[in-house]
Amino acid sequence: MIDFANLDFSWLIKFSVPLLWGLWTTIWLGVVGFAIALPSGLALALGRLYGGWYLRLPILAFVDVVRFTPLLVQAVWIHFALPALTGHSLTANQSGLIALSLHVSAYICEILRAGIVAIPKGQWEAARALGLRQRQTFAKVILPQVWPLVMPPLANVSVATFKLTAILGIIAVTDLTKAASRANTFIFRPLEVFTVVALVYLAIGLVLAWIAWRIERRYGAARQGRVAPAGALTVPVLVGGQRGI
Amino acid sequence: MEFDPDIVIRNLPKLLDGARISVIAFALALGLGAPLAALVCAGRMRRHGFLAALAGGYVTVFRVIPEAVLIFWMFYCLPPLTGYTIDGLWSGSLALALVSAAYLAEIFRAGIQSVPSGQWEAAKALALPRRTLWLRVVIPQAARLSTPPFINFLTELLKGTTLLATIGVADLALQAYVLGAQTFRYMEFLTAIALIYFVIIFPVARFAEWMEHRLAASTR
Repeated sequence: MIDFANLDFSWLIKFSVPLLWGLWTTIWLGVVGFAIALPSGLALALGRLYGGWYLRLPILAFVDVVRFTPLLVQAVWIHFALPALTGHSLTANQSGLIALSLHVSAYICEILRAGIVAIPKGQWEAARALGLRQRQTFAKVILPQVWPLVMPPLANVSVATFKLTAILGIIAVTDLTKAASRANTFIFRPLEVFTVVALVYLAIGLVLAWIAWRIERRYGAARQGRVAPAGALTVPVLVGGQRGI
Repeated sequence: MEFDPDIVIRNLPKLLDGARISVIAFALALGLGAPLAALVCAGRMRRHGFLAALAGGYVTVFRVIPEAVLIFWMFYCLPPLTGYTIDGLWSGSLALALVSAAYLAEIFRAGIQSVPSGQWEAAKALALPRRTLWLRVVIPQAARLSTPPFINFLTELLKGTTLLATIGVADLALQAYVLGAQTFRYMEFLTAIALIYFVIIFPVARFAEWMEHRLAASTR
């Protein structure tokens, strides 16, 4: 058993620079990954809904391949296998960011698609009757109604994005988890190191989940009135977001 | 660059070893997680009190913490905490089980709560004993509604087992990664296992989707 009087946290100061750097990497990867995934997810959703078959089929294939394979495998594939194909090798951070944003964009595509589909046809018809062009209709009539509908699942995906960053250590992205394991090889205080790391992740996660919960409460009601296909607005479970609390 | 599928066939035994580990991790996580989920769900069904708060806290914590971080924590901290040496496969599966319990508890709870209150009232009016009420009225209907999210969860759990690779458990993903590193044929091995995961998960996820639509249509 462990002797709790012997716990030592002096390493926190000694290794504060690499650890904070790792924390910073985790945060920017999550934020930038999500920021890239949101517009790409929207583009994918539009392509899937309104593109020709030459656009729809590849997008469908891409979204399914990404959603139905693990992020860890995708990250390793992009980092190690892809350079053989392209001839360019990427840094760990680049590969990690690409894998993360591709993965998340597929989920966002599905959410936005479901959200757009859930808007009643009458809205399109009414806009048409008023003489709006298709593009105007989408930007001014449909999209503003889609946002409140998709805000709660998108908030959950943002929590999921943060959680997924911890996987990228496998391709040597020095995020907080990886920085901590490296520090641990010097000081060998696994109990202290990994407990502190877990608590830091938990704290960030709780803040994000709280924001998601606020959004759910604010916009959750918008969902009730719509005839969305049941479950279409749900998000990935385990390596993903969370179903509304 | 030439693509050489034979190299995958030649190393199939090693990949199968990895697949076996993945299956064990999956079964352990589900086998330990599902009973725990039932307990947590029972706590979540209460409105007030210590057990309700405990179950609520459990669900929040284990859905918010990244699985990979929890796996690391279990791997490094369980041995000093308990004084036993614990295999990575066990500590990793245990971490997945704890996370699974949180998600499954919410899936079960959503299923139970979507049973219309009229069903409860009718059962009470017929003076059904509690046991019969649960076993013959509530659970059959709840199970029907929870099946699609449950199946979806299984696909997520299968993807989650790859996280054991981060602590060096030789699951399918790590085997492919190591074989790729040894032969410098990442493309073949990694594409092969990506395909394997896709071929398993795609039909299952599509089936769950189909079932969900059917259930939604029947309850509308």
